[in-house]
Amino acid sequence: MVFQQIVNGIIIGSTYSLVALGLNIIWSITDIPDFSQGGIYVIAGYASYFAVTLARFPFFFAVLVAMFVGGAIAFLIERFLYRRWRGSGRIQLLCAIALFFLLSNAAILFWTAKAKIFPAYLKGSISVLGSIVSYQRLVVLFVAAGLFILVYLFIMKTKIGKAIRAASQDREVAEVVGINIDTVNSVVFFMGGALSGTAAALISPLYAVIPSMGDLPLLKSLVVVILGGFGSVAGVLIGGLGLGLIESLGAVYISSGYQHGFTFIVLIMVLLFFPKGLFGKA
Amino acid sequence: MKNNLEKTAKMKSKPGLIRNVIIIAVVLIVLLLLPQFASDYIIYVAVLAMIYAVLAGSYDLTTGYTGPLTFCHGAFYGIGAYASALLTLKAGFPFWVAFPVSGIIVFLFAAVVGYPGLKLKGHYFAVTTFFFGHFIYLIILNSVKLTNGPMGLRGIKPPESILGIDFSSLQASYYLILFFGLLAVVFLFFLVRSGIGKLLVSIRENEELSEAIGVNTSFYKVLAFSTGAGIAGLMGSLFAHFFRLLHPSTFTWMTSEMVVIMALVGGLGTLFGPIIGAGIITLILELMRFAPEYRFIIWSAALIVVLVIEPKGLMGIVGRIRGGKR
Repeated sequence: MVFQQIVNGIIIGSTYSLVALGLNIIWSITDIPDFSQGGIYVIAGYASYFAVTLARFPFFFAVLVAMFVGGAIAFLIERFLYRRWRGSGRIQLLCAIALFFLLSNAAILFWTAKAKIFPAYLKGSISVLGSIVSYQRLVVLFVAAGLFILVYLFIMKTKIGKAIRAASQDREVAEVVGINIDTVNSVVFFMGGALSGTAAALISPLYAVIPSMGDLPLLKSLVVVILGGFGSVAGVLIGGLGLGLIESLGAVYISSGYQHGFTFIVLIMVLLFFPKGLFGKA
Repeated sequence: MKNNLEKTAKMKSKPGLIRNVIIIAVVLIVLLLLPQFASDYIIYVAVLAMIYAVLAGSYDLTTGYTGPLTFCHGAFYGIGAYASALLTLKAGFPFWVAFPVSGIIVFLFAAVVGYPGLKLKGHYFAVTTFFFGHFIYLIILNSVKLTNGPMGLRGIKPPESILGIDFSSLQASYYLILFFGLLAVVFLFFLVRSGIGKLLVSIRENEELSEAIGVNTSFYKVLAFSTGAGIAGLMGSLFAHFFRLLHPSTFTWMTSEMVVIMALVGGLGTLFGPIIGAGIITLILELMRFAPEYRFIIWSAALIVVLVIEPKGLMGIVGRIRGGKR
């Protein structure tokens, strides 16, 4: 029972970490808590659903579709909206929240509020230490882990990754030494959207595709960013997994009704005692 | 030279003053006469518009005048509504006790959240309030024994008759809300023009500087936040006893967002901008009742359009038109 909850917590936590990774990089570079990722998550979830049901793509390609759709939307939002108000963070935040509602309500308009059941792409399960874990859940874990390593390598080893790190430390100085901030922003937003899209495509087969599917991942991953601290990939990973564990264990041992309330309590605690996040550098 | 300038300034402000007085008088007369000729449905819409106008006005106190962006005004409204309803239903208090008490409860609640929260810099506080709003919704939804959860709270009584006025009729309740709504607006009007209001603006403009000249900025920030919240709580109480039915879905994060959008469309930091914005948006939303699925979309799209065209909102557009004419 406990082990089952721990496994569930880790799997759900790994999807929070994926969304949070993109949010963290975006937030640390552009100072935008990008709420629109919640809406992108929904649209990408539907994109993967239609890729599987209408276009009959194999699941792997559906994930790629979701990744591309998410990245493209985030790229366009940054290019045509956030970029206008660089320097006035308040307007960017308001716009981000408006976009979140716009996208998730657009999903209600286009595809109704009814849940769509994602066909299972991989049947069967394995038993680990007496608890049953379906293959689909394992896929979530492995893809998330793979993406984490990819993003880490991208940021650490490539030239544009170096530019991203420089911009996150000091945007103005980065501009002075010749880094094109516009390019960095575009790359970062595309990456963030792609990560959210992937998380949506991975989680959709486990639950269902509904217009409100982005609400909780968005809130949770914002908490993970605050938990983990800015510019810390390890912080995001530990924060995400930790939050997943707290939730799934709290639901069993305290109360399932307030499952998501634990997130808030954790957030308040961290803000009170570690205002820079658990692993914050800045 | 100086005298001349002052004279021209006075001459310019006078027609503005007369015009404002005329506008306010016309609005007041319409609001006073409305129940005499309007249908019940229009009265309901007018009540909602008034409640939202005060919500947006009280929201402006924190975000418009003091600075920090918050996203939980709908939660304070909800706490006030449920506190007042439960005080009358479960504890047996009369409305006239529950009404002020629910305002005080929300005031204290906001102080408890605002005291640690307002110390946070940047967007942290905004994100925290976003969660807080959702957290309150979850509590209302899940505390089934207390709030009846998703089934909704029924059987809330109208305010008891006082001074020989019976509030069980729709018209009487309308005037009650009009009275308290106007009272709240007048209170806010004098508050933002008082010394406290000027201190709040000084915090918005430059927090370090106002701290340096000896303003207790964290105290005034919490005061503004809690006062706005308390007024939202009072409006919640009026809402509960007017509609006599509460459901958690009224107090989701969409409600908070609606208040933010109203204040923003009207123009933050102008008090009357948010009030007018709230009135207009409530009416538009009601007109769109035939197509509920479009409402939120048009709304969010409208907010983005406002941000793109004129981040200062309606008041900014009005100012720009006037500026262009001169």
